[in-house]
Formats: sequence, structure tokens, C-alpha cells
Amino acid sequence: MKILQVTWKRGNETIKHINKTENSWGIQLTISENRKLGSYTCTVTGEEEFSVAFHLQVPQIEGREKPVISYEGDSAILICKSHSYTPIAWTWYMTNGSEQIAINDSLMLDKYIIDRTDANVTHLKILKLTKEDDGAYWCEAAYELGKSKGKLKLKILSLMVPLKPFLAIVAEVVILVPLILLFEFYSKKKRAEDEKEFDQIEQLR
Amino acid sequence: MVNPSPGPGGTSWPLSFGKGASTETRSEINSSKQSSDVILFCCSGKASFARGQVRFNPNIGTLLVFPQHSLTCPKGNMLPRRREHIHPPQHLTCPALTQVNVFVMGMLKTFGIFFVAFQEDVGGSSEQVSWIGSIMSSLRFLGAPLVAVVCRRMGERPTSILGAGLVSGGCLLSTQATGVPFLCVSMGLLLGMGFCCLYQAAAVMTAKRCRTRLAFSNAVARSGMGLTFLTAPFTQLLIDTYGWQGTLLIFSGIMLNLVPSSMLLRPVRTQLPLCPPASNEDRSSVPKGHPEEATNGAAQPSQPRGLPSTEPPAEPCSTGAVTTAAPGEAPTDSCCPETISEATKSCRSFPVLKEEKPQPLVDFSPLKDPLFFIFTWSFLFSHLAYFVPIFHLVARARTLGISSMDASYFISVAGITETGSQLLSGWIADQNWTKKYHYHAAYLVLCGVTNLLCPLATTFPLLMTYAVAFAIFCGGFLALVLPVLVDLVGVQKLHSYLGFASFFAGIAAVGGPPLAGWLYDYTQTYACSFLFAGACALLSPVSFFLEPLAQRWKLQKANVSMQSEAILQGSSGRAGFGCSHSQMPTSTDLQCQSKNC
Repeated sequence: MKILQVTWKRGNETIKHINKTENSWGIQLTISENRKLGSYTCTVTGEEEFSVAFHLQVPQIEGREKPVISYEGDSAILICKSHSYTPIAWTWYMTNGSEQIAINDSLMLDKYIIDRTDANVTHLKILKLTKEDDGAYWCEAAYELGKSKGKLKLKILSLMVPLKPFLAIVAEVVILVPLILLFEFYSKKKRAEDEKEFDQIEQLR
Repeated sequence: MVNPSPGPGGTSWPLSFGKGASTETRSEINSSKQSSDVILFCCSGKASFARGQVRFNPNIGTLLVFPQHSLTCPKGNMLPRRREHIHPPQHLTCPALTQVNVFVMGMLKTFGIFFVAFQEDVGGSSEQVSWIGSIMSSLRFLGAPLVAVVCRRMGERPTSILGAGLVSGGCLLSTQATGVPFLCVSMGLLLGMGFCCLYQAAAVMTAKRCRTRLAFSNAVARSGMGLTFLTAPFTQLLIDTYGWQGTLLIFSGIMLNLVPSSMLLRPVRTQLPLCPPASNEDRSSVPKGHPEEATNGAAQPSQPRGLPSTEPPAEPCSTGAVTTAAPGEAPTDSCCPETISEATKSCRSFPVLKEEKPQPLVDFSPLKDPLFFIFTWSFLFSHLAYFVPIFHLVARARTLGISSMDASYFISVAGITETGSQLLSGWIADQNWTKKYHYHAAYLVLCGVTNLLCPLATTFPLLMTYAVAFAIFCGGFLALVLPVLVDLVGVQKLHSYLGFASFFAGIAAVGGPPLAGWLYDYTQTYACSFLFAGACALLSPVSFFLEPLAQRWKLQKANVSMQSEAILQGSSGRAGFGCSHSQMPTSTDLQCQSKNC
């Protein structure tokens, strides 16, 4: 295919300085601030048109898909990691309705503890859990070029929840045990009766 | 066919029955002479008792009839009506062992899932958390001698209930865990000891109850481990719903179910009461029981009935070996059940005196027995040969470029094949075509050869073939471990033997995985682990070649001691006797034939 035109765009804005060699059309970017991040598209027009997009972004933080389960009165630890790139700072947010409120651990020392010993990993320890602590939490890593968030879910269960199946199983066991004891007692009685009967027969002989 | 040779007093003895013959004989042997009293001694095989006739279907060679007692079969209609005793039949203990296996192995295998949860919540490095798992699985073996002592003192049922309680309590306590050392004690120690108690009690109970079909029952019980593949997704589901603490709480409830199943392990009667002396000659006397192939042939002289003034020391009627004498028990299980049951009812006047010395607290006698070393050697090496390839099969598949999804098929196929092969091997061994340890040794050799050939398997189909072959042979020999021990040693002392054997196997289990890891680090290839496993598997049956020698040595030792005892006693009727059969590996020490005594 004969290539007629190659266009580099960012959004709607066309980039003019293209380094052209025989077979390649490249652009050189200096990403010095957040605004320079984004999607850069290269469109090749010939007989047909192809386009490809490059997404430049800050490192994505992975949260946890499955909720962290904890119990009322207990404590829970939420962990976020970013190993390949070291963030400058970590911030935690909790969701209140539709708003995200930053968690300030110096204000509420007996409730939240944020572990900052390792720069690549952050731990949020929540003490004395109650039902209100249930919900989504966000850990935000701040890099020079921007911020990125990861989502974690915390689910608080009351103690009764696992206790119910437990009690059901214990009840089943408690019913079975006397049943077996009764069964044995009954069969022992039967055996004693049989022996008595046999004795009588023997004596008759 | 019966070829009786005429004997004194109108008795035909010794009666010998050809193998596989079924004969009918009315055993009304009345004799005027006391010295020609006869006792019928049934060695093994099936006997059913109905209406005054004793039908023997021996599938062994000789029935030794020995002059001791007079036996009068009750005339037909005088038999007590055979009531159906309400009695949990013997096959209820096998589900108990199956259940134990499912829970124990399931818990051990799903520990990996808890591992992840513990690491996140409780903290601690990977190495620290894995200590919990290794303490749990190694205590299962290492605690066996202690548990054997407890079992012998308290009986199997209380021990099993204690084990279930320990496991439940351990799980409950772990829900409150705050750190790794806490978990090491609560989950590792308590659960490990609990599993050990459960396992030992259930294994010995199975050996005592399921006599004729021990190999098959053992295989069925072990196949419960095959169900553990269900426990992993179940555990994951529980953890996702309730968190690890809730899961442990529910597990402790599930383990509590082991309490009712342990209550089904009813103690088996091991002693018959005494025969009354001279007074009633018409009464049916006790047929002496029968040293089956699975019993310790301790010398049990019968009490000569009708010996007038010299009251011999009162001795129990039974050989110490008769254990399946509960009345109403399925006759296929013992030789002469009904007559024994009658005898139980009739022989009750004398107090029972134990002939054996009072057992010491910890029975170290297995350590003096060559058979024990033969068994332990083979047990140890076969365990090493089993565990190492399991750890490294998936890793080797990965190094050969097979994806981990495909590699996990190996595990599932191997698991299913192993279960099937265990059942088949147990069934075959129960047919008694040859001694069980021959099968055991054969499977081990084949397993070793397979392992040695494994480094040649470099593609997926070849590795799958290896996995299937390995699973077949492993299943074969695993099903026979307990039956072989029972054959070698007998049921009476099974506790101490099993305890010590498990202890040594536990050392192998503890050392096995690190050894395998070290092998990999040293040679940088997994092929060596398979060669090592193959070598272990080939080494392990070597000890069985020494078994006939060891038996002979034991026999000579026991004969010498018996003869000296007979001289001391000085009474003619006191020789014990045993049934010898060329095919059954018996540890009966006594080979006193009728002519020699």
C-alpha cells in the first residue's frame, strides 16, 4: 500500500514535528507535567486508513476485587502496593455516600493507623470496626506526574453470621450423640435378655 | 474330602480337609477318656453354624484337632433361636475411617488456602506461616507412639473422641489468633495431635473389625482422600463469604461431627470368660478360638477340662487372639462364631485371669522385633518415594514448557487413578491368592522402575503416561500398608507397632520436602528428584526378602521359651497349639502338632 499521509494527534490537536525516516514516522515527547500525559494517536492514510493509540499514564494501582472480610470489634488491614515505581506519597480515602473523604490518621489515632515504613507499600489498619466502616476504600499513590487510585472493599460481618451455621452443626452433633448412646443401651439390653434365655435353655438340657 | 484316620474314643482326628473342600461334619465327639478329649481348632476360613451341624469351608490346608476338650454340638432344636442382635455391623467402622481420612487429609491439603489468608491478616513471613502447616502434618506421624500408649490404656473410642475434641478445640481457639506463634500452637500442635489420635484409633479399629476384607476396607477408607478435591473449592468459598475466622469456626463444627462417628467404634471383645471346670461334661465346651492369620499367636493353653484335683491355674478359654467373638456377629468374619457365643454364655463362672504380663506403660517391644524393622524400613522409603514426585511433578512439567493449566490435569488424573487403583489393589489382595506383602513389594518395584524412567518423559503425553502409571502403582502399595502390618504383626499389638512405625515415617515426612528442595538446588534439575524417588522405591521392598528368616527366628525363640515353660508346668495338656499354614504369614510362635505334644 502506498502511504500518502501519517498524522500524529493528541485529542484534536495535531503534532507537527514528526521525525521521519524511510519507513517510520515518529514523534518525540518530553513529559514534564501531567498535562502532557494522555492518548496519542497515529493515523496512517493510504488506500485505507489505520490508526493506533498510545496511552501514556501514571502507574495503575491494583486494589482488591474480592472484599476484605472482617468482624465487628475486630481490626482489619487494607494493603496497597506499587512495586515497580515508588510513589511520593500515599493517601487513603473512605467513601461516605458519594463523596470521598481523606483519612487523616493523626487526627483519629485510635481508629486508623497508616503504616508508612515501606515507600512501595501502604497499610491502612482500621481498629474497632463497626458496621459504618463497611464500604469502599481508595488508596491513592501520588507520583510526580500525577495520581492514581486503587479500590478496595471492606465488608463487616457481625459475629452472628458464621455462628449460625456453627450452632446448626453443633445441634446436629448434640442430637446424634444421645441417639447413638440410646441405641447402644438398647442393644445391650437385648443381648442381656438373649443371654438369660440361653442360660435357661442350657439348664433344661 | 475328609480323610479321617481313626483315633481313640471314636473320634476321627486329626481331621484334614483338602484346600477348597467343603465338608460337613457332625462333631459329636464323646469320649470316656479325659486324655482323648478333643477340641476343634479352626484355623481360618469361613464357617457357618446352623442347627447342630458345623460346616467348614476351609480354604486352608489343615485343621488340627488336638486332644483337650470334649465338644458336643447341641442337638438341632435345642439351639437358641438366633436372634438378630441390634449391633452396628462391622462395616460401620469403615465409614468412620473414611470420614477421618476425608477430614484429616482435606484439612491438610487446604492449609495452602489458609496460608494466604493468614499471611495477609496475621502477618509474618512466608517461612513462618509455613511452619504451621509443617507442624500440623508432621505431628500427625510423630505423635503416634504417644497416641498408641493412650489408645492402649483408654481404648480406641475414648481416644478417637479425644482426638475429635482436640481438633475442634484447636480450630475454635485459632479463631482468636493474633500472631503466628499462637497459630503454631493452636492450629499446628492441637490439630496435629488430634489428627494423630483419630487416625490411629480408626486404623486399628478397622484392622480389628474388618478382618477378612481388611485390604479392601482400608482401600475404601483411603479413597476418602480422593474426595478432598472437593474441600479446596469449598474452603475457598467459605473464606470468601466468612473470612478465615468464620471459616475456622465452621470447620470446628464440622470436625465435631467426628465425635458421633468415633462413638461407632465400639470396643470389640477380646477375652472370653473361663470355662467351668470338671462339673458339666455335657455342656458344650469352648472351641478354643482360632489363631487366624492376623493374630499374634501367643501361647494359650486351654484348660484341660475334667482334670480332677490338680486345679490348673484358671485361664481364659480364648486365645488372647480371638477378637471377633461378639455374639451375633457376621459369621463370615470368624471361624466358629456361634459356638463361641454359646461358650461365652456358658463359661462365666470363673474370674478371668490374664495370662500375659501386665503391659508396661510404653511398650518398647516393637523395637526388639525384627519384623518391625522390616516393616519400618519399607514404610519409610515408600513414603519418601511417594511424596517427592508429588511435589515436583508440576514444577518439572513447567520447566519442560507445559502450561500450568495442563500441568494441573496431571494432579487430578493422578488423584482419580490412584483412588481407583487402591480399590482394585485392596480387592485383589483380599482374594488371598498370595501373601499380601508380595503384592506390596511388586507394586513398589514397579513404582521404582517407573520413577527411574521418568526423566525420559519430556512431552505432555509421556508425562501423562508417567503420572498415570505412578498413580496406579502408588495406589496399589498404599492400600496395602496397613494390611501388611497386620499380617506381619497381628492385631493385638498393632497399636504400639503402628505408633512406632508412624513415628519413623514421620521423620521421613518431615525431612522429605526439604530434602527434595535441596536436591533441586544442588542439581538444578527436577529429574534427579525422580531418580531419587525411584531409588527409594526400589530400596524399600528389599527388607521383605528377610521376612521368612525373621519369622523363623521369632518362631525358634518362642518355641524355646514355650518348651521351657512347659517343662516348668509339667502338665501334659498344657501345650499350646497353633495352626500353621504355609500361605499365611503368621506370627504364631507355636507349631505344636498333635503328635509331638
